[in-house]
Parts: sequence; C-alpha cells; structure tokens
Amino acid sequence: MAEPMVKLHGIHKRFGKLEVLKGVDLDVGKGEVVCILGPSGSGKSTFLRCVNLLEPPEQGEIFIEGQDICKGPGSGTGAESWELDFVRQRVGIVFQQFNLFPHKTALQNVTLAQECVLDRSKNEARTKATQLLERVGLGDKLDQYPERLSGGQQQRVAIARALAMDPHVMLFDEVTSALDPELVKEVLDTMRELAEEGMTMIVVTHELGFAREVADRVVFMDGGVIVEEGPPAEVLENPQEERTKQFLGLVLDR
Amino acid sequence: MSEFFNQYFDFDFMGEHFDEVFDAFLKNLLIFVVAAAFALFLGLILALIRQLPGKKFAPLRFLTIAYIDVFRAIPILIVILLISGGIPYLEFIPKDIRIPHWFGQPDPYWYGVLGLTLVYSAYMAEVYRAGIEAVPGGQVEAARSLGMSHGQALRHVVVPQAVTKIPAPMLNELISLLKDTTLVSVVAFGEAALIAREIQAETFNASAYVLAGIMFLVITLPMARLVDKLIKRNQGRITRGSHIEVA
Repeated sequence: MAEPMVKLHGIHKRFGKLEVLKGVDLDVGKGEVVCILGPSGSGKSTFLRCVNLLEPPEQGEIFIEGQDICKGPGSGTGAESWELDFVRQRVGIVFQQFNLFPHKTALQNVTLAQECVLDRSKNEARTKATQLLERVGLGDKLDQYPERLSGGQQQRVAIARALAMDPHVMLFDEVTSALDPELVKEVLDTMRELAEEGMTMIVVTHELGFAREVADRVVFMDGGVIVEEGPPAEVLENPQEERTKQFLGLVLDR
Repeated sequence: MSEFFNQYFDFDFMGEHFDEVFDAFLKNLLIFVVAAAFALFLGLILALIRQLPGKKFAPLRFLTIAYIDVFRAIPILIVILLISGGIPYLEFIPKDIRIPHWFGQPDPYWYGVLGLTLVYSAYMAEVYRAGIEAVPGGQVEAARSLGMSHGQALRHVVVPQAVTKIPAPMLNELISLLKDTTLVSVVAFGEAALIAREIQAETFNASAYVLAGIMFLVITLPMARLVDKLIKRNQGRITRGSHIEVA
C-alpha cells in the first residue's frame, strides 16, 4: 500500500484535567475524503487541529507525506522540534468562524500569505487569487471587505485563501455550522468540487448528506476515541455500535 | 457668600495674574508634549517585547512585565523625587547628564519628564497590550495556519486591527498625563500649580488656583469629549462586525 498522505497514531491531548483525545489513529490516503462525525465535545475538532499542530498533541505521532512532524530530527518534544513550516505549507485549514482578516479585501485576504510566506510577486499572487476567487464564484467580489459579504461568501473566500498556498491536504472544521441554512449549499458545493478534483480532505461536519455523498470514509468519534469507521453507506445506513446508532438517530430525527 | 466668591472667583484678581499663570501653564504643556512622545514610543516597544513568543524570550518578557508592574505600582510623585533626589549626586555620571540643561530647559524639567515617561510608558504599554489582546485569537490562528511567522502575523494581521481599538484608552491616559504634569512642582519647577501656589501664599486668595484649573479644563474637556466620540464610533463598528450574516 502506498504511503498514506496523513498518518496519525496514538494521539493524546488533554486540556487541564480533561482528556479530550484518548489515543486516536487515522490514516488518510492521497485524494481520499474522510468525514469525521460525532457529538459536540467528542474531540473531533481538537483532533483535526492536531493535524496541522494548531493543537499540538501531548502524545502520539503525526506523519505528513511520510515526514514525522511532531518529533523531528532533534526528537525533543518542544515547539522547536515541530516541523511547523513543513506542515503549514502542505496542510490548509478552513474554520467554523471563517477568520477572514477584516481589514483586508477578499482579494487581499487571498494574496497576503502568498506574498509574505511563498515570496510570490504582487502580480503572481493577484493572478492566483483572482483565479481562485472566480473558481469559488466570487469573481465580482474581489474588492469587497468581509463585512460586506454574506457568511457563505466569507467562507468561500476562506477556502480560496487556504487553496492559494497550494496545500496537499485540506482540513475543514465545521465550516457550515455558523451559516444560515440557505447559505450552506454554496459552501458544500465548493467543497464537493474540490473533492472531485482529487484534493485530500479531512472534514469535521454535521452534514450527513455531504458525508454520504462525498466521503470515501466516515469516522464516528465519541468521548475522545474513534467508535466506528468505514464507507459512508455502512456507517450511516447500518451502524454497528450503539453510540453511533444513537447519534445518527438524534441527528436524523430533528 | 460673597466672601466665598472673592476667595475663589475674584475675576479682577485673575486678570492681574493671568499672564503669570498662563506662562507657567505653557510649561505644563511643554512637559506634556515631550513626556507623551517618549511614553507612546517606549510603551509600544514594551508592548511588542511582551508579545515575543517562545522560551528564548522569556527573560526579556519577564523584565518587561516587571518594569510595567513596578512603575504602575509606585506613585509618580515618589518616582520624580527618587530621580531628583539621587541622580544629581551620582558623580560617576557625567555632569551634563545628571544635571541636564538640554534645549534651554532646567534640570527639574528633565527630572519631571523622565519621571512621567517612566511611569506613563508602563501605562501606555498596557493600553497597547489591551488593543493587541482585543484581536480575536482566530485571527492569529488563521495567519499561522497559512504559514506566517509570529512576527508576520503580528505585523500584517494583529497590529493593524489593534490600532483601531487603541485611540480612546490612549487619550484617557494622555488626559491623566497632562494633569499629572503639576506633580513636577515638587522639584521646584515653575509650572502652573507652583506659580498659583506662590500667588496664593502672597495674597491669601485662591483664585489663581481656579484660574490654573480652568486652563487645564480648556484642554482636557475637549479631549474627554473626543474619547466619548471614539468609543461610540468603535462600538458601532463592533456591533456591525459581529453581525456575520450581513447581506
């Protein structure tokens, strides 16, 4: 089997006394789309944020394209030995609250990091940003400030901003949870296209429809561990574990 | 009642002494302008040092926090007395520095400026810090996730947003600074409070104090109104910003 794109092994994380992740393993192959489901407080967002070291795990190993990013050559465990640059150049993330830069226009949101991190010229960055914003359907909003955009539009700018760095893996952290229902579709459509183009994606979501349709694999988390995982048809239609059944029952009944 | 008015609001008396008090008040303004410039600059440096990340900078951060804590905790009057009552006698310091007469200003002026700068740079550092910390954590997370360094995130994302939150509290500190310039009277610098006091001591009439007070009022009151205005404007911005689903 080919080297997985992302490999996490034995991830533990605690906030004070609360153990949020109790040993989580996950391999994600190139081009695979993995959806992580679970009740709030199950540790799924924390787990996702471990992948790009926004929340560095206390224990466990993380490999991105075969590179050990948590220990590094120095094998210490402090921040000095994390391969932050390596991760952040390969892994993009989109947040629930968009986190666009409010003092920058849509275009500037997408060009800023290209210029100061990848050293692209102004023109180069601008061209790339324009292409990406057109691709997410915002070609006419280049010079708008986030304040003037709807939530769905803001979230699409955030996706374009992450894609501008040419990531190999994209993380999505409940990206539709802060949106009004009628704005959810436009964001999911953008993600669906991305998946069809072969992007490797890890998606924390409550959108069962999206998971069923787009995911190659669904992972159900609860209480800081993976309870059940498999193809969406199996996990969503015919869950084996009691907790999965319960959760899916609650979500579908609403 | 007329006795009260004659004691405090003798307008003829004020007219007689106006020039004296006004000249002294200009010295307050001169202390204010120089000390404010130094404090604003030094405060920014302190605030930025305090934001330096990682273990490497821990000692620097600690020193900065210690400086801020100490100078916020000591009365300004004592700081000024510590300077004027000690530095002039430290003979290992060149005379031009321990007893400065730069730019035609006497040494008490510079002791006052130094004392106010030391204390107000600590206050200003706190104002800058509050501005920086008012920027939501998600902003730094987003910048760092895009691969920006801590410094780049600070420069391109945090500071530009922080400066919009700073003006009101900063003006408040500046108002306090202007009023606190009267403390320099303790080292016999002829500013408004001292001159008014001399007049009162000669005449047993307090109208010169009222006159000096009015002069401060004329400057500080518009500043206070401006603070209100800035706060109101900022609140408008925040309310709009937090409403995510703007069409």
